[in-house]
Amino acid sequence: MKTCFDTGNAAISAGAIMAGCRLFAAYPITPATEIAENMSRSLPLRGGYYVQAEDELAALYMCIGGSLGGLKAMTCTSGPGYVLYADPYGWAIGSEIPVVILNAQRVGPVSGISGAPGQGEFYLSRWPTHGGNFETIVLAPNSAQEAFSMTVLAFDLAERFRTPVTILADQLVTDGWEDFTLPENEEELQALGLRLNPRRVHPGPCFYPAGDEIDLPPVVLGRGTGGACSDWTPTEEGYDSEEIEVQMKHAHRLIHKILSHRSLIDRHEGYALEDDPAIVLVSYGSPSRVVLAAVREARAQGISAGCIRLQSLWPFQDELFRRKALYLTVELNAEGQLVREVERASRSRAHFIGQCGELPAAADLLRAIRRLAAGLAPEPEPWRREAW
Amino acid sequence: MDRLAQKYLRARKIPGTACAGCGLGQVHKKALLAIEQLNLGLDDLVWGTGIGCAGRQTFNTWKGDNFAGTHGRVYALAAGLRLALPEEKKILLSAGDGDAFGIGLQHLLHCARRNLDLTVLVADNFGYQSTGGQYGYTTPLGAITDSSPYGAWEPNWLQNGLDILELLKAAGATFLARHSSLEGQSAVDSLKKAMENKGFSLVHMIYPCVSHFGATALGARSPEIVLRWFEDLFRPGAEGAAPRFKSGVYLDASGARPEFAAVLKARTRALADEAAKGGVPHGPRAGALEGALV
Repeated sequence: MKTCFDTGNAAISAGAIMAGCRLFAAYPITPATEIAENMSRSLPLRGGYYVQAEDELAALYMCIGGSLGGLKAMTCTSGPGYVLYADPYGWAIGSEIPVVILNAQRVGPVSGISGAPGQGEFYLSRWPTHGGNFETIVLAPNSAQEAFSMTVLAFDLAERFRTPVTILADQLVTDGWEDFTLPENEEELQALGLRLNPRRVHPGPCFYPAGDEIDLPPVVLGRGTGGACSDWTPTEEGYDSEEIEVQMKHAHRLIHKILSHRSLIDRHEGYALEDDPAIVLVSYGSPSRVVLAAVREARAQGISAGCIRLQSLWPFQDELFRRKALYLTVELNAEGQLVREVERASRSRAHFIGQCGELPAAADLLRAIRRLAAGLAPEPEPWRREAW
Repeated sequence: MDRLAQKYLRARKIPGTACAGCGLGQVHKKALLAIEQLNLGLDDLVWGTGIGCAGRQTFNTWKGDNFAGTHGRVYALAAGLRLALPEEKKILLSAGDGDAFGIGLQHLLHCARRNLDLTVLVADNFGYQSTGGQYGYTTPLGAITDSSPYGAWEPNWLQNGLDILELLKAAGATFLARHSSLEGQSAVDSLKKAMENKGFSLVHMIYPCVSHFGATALGARSPEIVLRWFEDLFRPGAEGAAPRFKSGVYLDASGARPEFAAVLKARTRALADEAAKGGVPHGPRAGALEGALV
């Protein structure tokens, strides 16, 4: 193992290279550009290709095209590019082509501020494309170390589930500098609970069998298999079909290949939940680090509080919210995107602290916890109380 | 078509879904003739398709490997695929005029700029016919269509001094040709040259749409009337006036520019070889990547 002091971006790049990424196509965008720069420097030295695409649509399509030819591929972006992925994202979901996508979320709406963190794409990562009838896999790191391991994991899951996997990071995770440890060989990688998953080639002719099986090799073109891949509803052989029954089988596979194997995806970290605390804070990404500090302090002050950090966002882990508690979500957006999911899963009202472009202060979170413990709703956040 | 169809096309896709009198089958046939005359086997070529009549109806007809892109994106998909495939595998894309010259033009131009080894066969039926007949980027000025009921007036890529092939030439394409689907071996020859060119090639092949363009713009669903009008487009006008379209090779600069994928692969190979010998500096900010698992 090797200890490094570097950015989340560097950790992500190292993870991609170790996972076998051999095509990286991207369009420069702050705060994800550094990953592209890293890959442009490091990938060719391992025999991989770096391509700067004409736009984000092309970037993801090039990755998918490369994956379709047998290369493991990844792209990275931030919000303004992530919305442009909608079309190729859907293509990869529908034709079941593995690809890894990283979104370093920044504050919005739209272009917002390029160098400030945000968490506005929680729902967009669930429904990144049109048409419905699919599930997505979304991972959310909160440190450089986890950004590394989740990148390796994302490549593994993309191959196993034949689908795009999004790493929904934020600007603080990707740009932030901190210590992390990198494995230097495959044994050390496995010791971290990670595995390498080389690309296999589907031999055909039944490329899209009905059912919910995983670990099927994807279609790879140029290998004489008679493979066919398209955005149309595919028959088992890949012919475009307009039969509703074929559509139903297709949707069933896209949904249930993920839902039937959730144990491979679902991840969370709980803190101080053993005694069923009265108050449970919920977060993901960089705010979770402030949440942990606030909950620790609350516990030290004798308040019955704990927290859940979601490491995988989608499919949403409803069962984590079955315990009766006062839930408080902490997010880097104004509207509370986690709130709706937590309320739905817990069948109760959830409280919310939302920051716009910066992390909340631990003291503000602690104040909210103390108010909840006293039976009062949290006050509006300081930025909302200003008479702008 | 039977002999070629048996040799190259999937039985399940023949006959296709084209309207009676449509010229797309002739365009399709010319591509197969070019493939046959180049002695290409099913494993030598991957066939990609765009959207609309030209794309949807040719998708997965090829007995080898196939892919289809969404509206206008097949060029970007093909760009990624090109990097993954060995240099000797050919990629042929069949797409329509709206796909190539409208929604996908951004990617098409960048493929030309890169001189990426792709052959794009643009089967042009003068507008959006699979959606019922709206004007596009090649619809003749004045033509009545379902979305230009008072006559098409928006500048197109083929009239009043504009030519899409000129744009593609300026963008860096290395083989360009224009033909009518009514032509024979000359159109096949252009397709052969296009597929032999190690670089970006585009063959613009105009074909008649009877159901929509014929019915609405020409006022006749009769293939005979549509075909006669069509033939006239490529004939000299009265008193020796130049024909509306000149068929044949527009540009043959095969080999004049390096091909993108070949250059990228060669550069990557050289860097990887040097790195294996421990010779390549990581640059000023190697950081965590230094010594990362190879």
